Amino acid sequence: MANNDIVMLEGGPLIDPAALEDALGWALKPEGLCKDDTCVIVHDRAALMSGDRVDVTAVASLIDRPAAHDATSDLVAIGAPRDLRRAAINDMRAPDFTLPDLDGLPMNFSDHRSKKRLLVAFSSW
Amino acid sequence: MIAVAVDEDVETIRGAADGITYPILIDADHVVTELYAISNVPTVLMIDEDDNIVQPNWSAYASDTFRELTGINSETQMDHIRAWAKVGTLRMSPEDAKGAVHDLSSEEEQARLFFRIATRLRNDGDAEGAERNFVTAIDLAPHDWTVQRAAQPLRGINPFGDAFMELYTAFNEAGRPFHGVTGH
Repeated sequence: MANNDIVMLEGGPLIDPAALEDALGWALKPEGLCKDDTCVIVHDRAALMSGDRVDVTAVASLIDRPAAHDATSDLVAIGAPRDLRRAAINDMRAPDFTLPDLDGLPMNFSDHRSKKRLLVAFSSW
Repeated sequence: MIAVAVDEDVETIRGAADGITYPILIDADHVVTELYAISNVPTVLMIDEDDNIVQPNWSAYASDTFRELTGINSETQMDHIRAWAKVGTLRMSPEDAKGAVHDLSSEEEQARLFFRIATRLRNDGDAEGAERNFVTAIDLAPHDWTVQRAAQPLRGINPFGDAFMELYTAFNEAGRPFHGVTGH
């Protein structure tokens, strides 16, 4: 998925800090939580950590993404940055997304930019 | 036109796609319902050449199949869509369009994540784990059709049987909560 929009992790919320960037696109650095040229100041670094592991749900909260943990299976789902949906709802800006077509080939909504688009959500249920 | 199936049943969607030339995308993880705060289908948006949403989440129909339940005349809705496509006529003023869709509550966000976990466990063959997480999701967002009704076929429940009327009744009693606008 482009931009790590949604994430599913196995093995619970505590991960090796070195794996954080692969999981969420953000890395824990001396200056804070960073992605490309952007850093978020971490006021209480200890609150993100459990021993030498980092809690991805705490990191998700800091970068304004929802997270859910099923303790039995230890799967952790992290949702899209809330900013993307707020852009749609408050600023009327259409968030981009990438989904497979019927042949399994990924398509970006933005591939159709510069055209008027009717976006239709439907289902078989 | 870009159609997004809030569905994991690729074969059923493919069966309905015969002769269709516009893109049909499969959103088994409900990414788009999270990004656009979509709570039922069909939900239609009009998006202009510059990525501006000029018609936010709209309960619009391509046929009168559900007219008895919705009271909606699909032809009037299609006329709005054609007028926008041809000459850019907007159905809603920019002022009205802004704020027409309420953001998801944290429960509705969480429901989408537990639905995703349930789907993953179902694909992994863990039926019990899938059911546990579907139930968690439904308890969090009981009137969200993309959660409760979308889960029905995945839980072995006929989405067109008694479960539909039960959900429809509960939805009406809750005041028909919908993230978007309805009507012609």
